Amino acid sequence: MNRLLQLGLLLTLVATVHAQVQHDFWPGRERVIPHVSGDEMWSGTYKNWKDSEAVKKSMAAGMMSRDINFKDFRWLEKSFDGELKVDMGREVFHRKSSNGRSCATCHGENGEKLKGWYATQPRFSAKANRVIVAATQISICAKEHLSEDWPENTRNNSLLDMYLAYLSDGRDVDIDVTSGPMKEAYEKGRDLFFKRTGHFHFACASCHTGVTTQSYLRGQRPSTFFGDAAHYPIYHFPYRLPGDDVEDIFTLQHQIKSCQMLSRMLPGVEGSRTLTAIEVFLKASANGYKMSIPTQEYNMSTGYLLRDGL
Amino acid sequence: MRQFAKPLLAVAAICTAAAAQAQTAGSISGGDEMLDRIRAKWQPGGAEMIPQDVLTMFPCHDEELPCGKIPPPPVERVTFDGPLQGDAKRGEAIATNVRYGNCIACHILPGHEGGTIGPSLSEYSKRGMPLEYTYQRIWDVRAFNPYAFMPVYGPNRVLTDQEIRDVMVFIGTGGK
Repeated sequence: MNRLLQLGLLLTLVATVHAQVQHDFWPGRERVIPHVSGDEMWSGTYKNWKDSEAVKKSMAAGMMSRDINFKDFRWLEKSFDGELKVDMGREVFHRKSSNGRSCATCHGENGEKLKGWYATQPRFSAKANRVIVAATQISICAKEHLSEDWPENTRNNSLLDMYLAYLSDGRDVDIDVTSGPMKEAYEKGRDLFFKRTGHFHFACASCHTGVTTQSYLRGQRPSTFFGDAAHYPIYHFPYRLPGDDVEDIFTLQHQIKSCQMLSRMLPGVEGSRTLTAIEVFLKASANGYKMSIPTQEYNMSTGYLLRDGL
Repeated sequence: MRQFAKPLLAVAAICTAAAAQAQTAGSISGGDEMLDRIRAKWQPGGAEMIPQDVLTMFPCHDEELPCGKIPPPPVERVTFDGPLQGDAKRGEAIATNVRYGNCIACHILPGHEGGTIGPSLSEYSKRGMPLEYTYQRIWDVRAFNPYAFMPVYGPNRVLTDQEIRDVMVFIGTGGK
């Protein structure tokens, strides 16, 4: 009987842990793959927006924008406001610091040697001994070569981020998460994306999977987590993040933090392991999707409003 | 081992059921430490966003912080003590304010256009849903569906017992 009691207690423990996991994580995270085509398992609309031609075809066929995963009005057109930020970023890139050096000193005029680089970020840095996002690499470089203090949430860093992403405009996102620290970061990011947190007890997945992605969230139109990361940083209507200045460039790090705030989650620290892991997951979920820089969250074309009967 | 198989299965079933039931809690009445701690730092409905020191009381993403290890709040099953009394105007303010209940983000409400994620509540009164059901649904939706897309208003002390009643009066909850 004693043995039975022990086994019972053990089972209670197992069942309790099981119940916790059930409530901690959104279902379906085992179905994700690190490629944009993985969306077929989620919204099932991938074929309607797999490239810009497909988006145009879907629009011409009169599809509602929710059937195009909202890619029609979000990333198809370049942003004029964003172009101005690219120009400002180019200026920072060529600006000489107190030691007489600029980014162009190492990376060439107009970033000649950095074309395509942004499409492969984040990646493992031997120097930092961890996976880092582009903004962290910019911060490290600025300190080491320019003696500038430009951490991830500063203006110069974001402007450079926008400019470097622009140098990869048109490239396919290509993040290798098949092994080592990148695989670990991807899996951690995936688990965090599906973890329920905060005052509302929401996960990122609460808004970016399932029925929510086919619907309207007050004035917002959440899409699935596939593909969108290819277009970051974006121009965003000026917006204040806690503790920061008004920001009009949204790097993926800013975006994650902003989403956390809106969902009453504890906002993370930009460039931290946690936010980096989430970015690895999002960026890998855009693998194979063409980057379009600079764009903005809602572009100038309002045709979708007519098509959707709004 | 074989002779234990049947009783073992029975024990396992009971234990699993007990774990699934998790915790049963009553409504917020009288003193509630967690609610007091939240409301001392933040009054919902105002211009201020919820402060960070309130958010650290709940599970968070950052595994290097203590909140990264907080387990999810247990499912709370509640009973509804009638009759339903509340202030519809107050309920409307709670349901439509982004820094309060923010029901409008997902639902169309009586007299208000809203999100389309949850069902429209513009004619909720006609459905005649029992008060007990509506109250539990708002308090902790996980009692019906662990993966529902609704905030856990009760367990995380987003709304108080009376605030939930105000919202229920506003949407015209019928039934008994």
